[in-house]
Amino acid sequence: MNIQFKKGVLEICVLVLATRGDRYGYELAVKISEKFEVAVGSVYPLLSRLTQDGYFSTYLKESTEGPPRKYYHLTPDGWNHMRNLIAEWENFTQAVNEIVEEGLKP
Amino acid sequence: MTTRDRYMLELEGMLKVIPEAQRKEWLYDYYIHFQLAVENGQSEEDAARELGDPKIIANELLLGYRVNQAESNSSFGKLSKAVFSTVSLGLFNVIFILGPYLALAAVLLALWVSAVAMGIASVGVIVESWLNDTFTIPQALTIGLIISALTILLVIGLKALTGAFYKMTLKYLKFNTRIIRGNNK
Repeated sequence: MNIQFKKGVLEICVLVLATRGDRYGYELAVKISEKFEVAVGSVYPLLSRLTQDGYFSTYLKESTEGPPRKYYHLTPDGWNHMRNLIAEWENFTQAVNEIVEEGLKP
Repeated sequence: MTTRDRYMLELEGMLKVIPEAQRKEWLYDYYIHFQLAVENGQSEEDAARELGDPKIIANELLLGYRVNQAESNSSFGKLSKAVFSTVSLGLFNVIFILGPYLALAAVLLALWVSAVAMGIASVGVIVESWLNDTFTIPQALTIGLIISALTILLVIGLKALTGAFYKMTLKYLKFNTRIIRGNNK
């Protein structure tokens, strides 16, 4: 799949994955790389940008083993942003599907 | 040296320009990533391959940081850095962004230089007339006053123009980064 296309989708996925409780970066990176092939490394710059924009807040939490992990918490702003993105995404995919179906009609 | 060390060093080297606190925070993410990957039975080589080219990661981090910086405190140095980051990320053609940016910046600079020259001229004409009698003193004062009035108008106009140019460039950069990130609003 086209890299730039994937990057846009990545933002929605990261936000949605954090809706059911706070996540740490590695968890998000792995979850996403399981589903589609992305450079896992670009998940972190994305998380950093979303945090700067106020969609995530972060905190460090000790883990049972190893160094403390950075958790990402979806803020109310983040929820709104996610809903907007999903609405846009649905409009977009619907439009694409319509064109594809129309085009493939026998 | 392990793969992780090499990867971290390469990334760190490219982020040297970032203030230490921010850089450490970013690097920590990747450090922990390697750690957890190994704990989960992945080799460091695999983890590094999955993470992707450190050059691309560094560029992505730098771009986000610089656009943010240029936004929060206006300075032409910061704006230029953001422009160059965008170009180095290969987001778009050098000709289409760097060219117009440099051309417009040069025009603005030229206008500012002429404003300064006019300011000097307004004082100069009075001093010159006083020393060499080029004009009579009342004439010189009138000419000096007119030129300085024009200079003030030019400076006010230029200030507005420079501000608009700054804002427009930022908007364009953000627009482009958004497009590339997909949520084209």
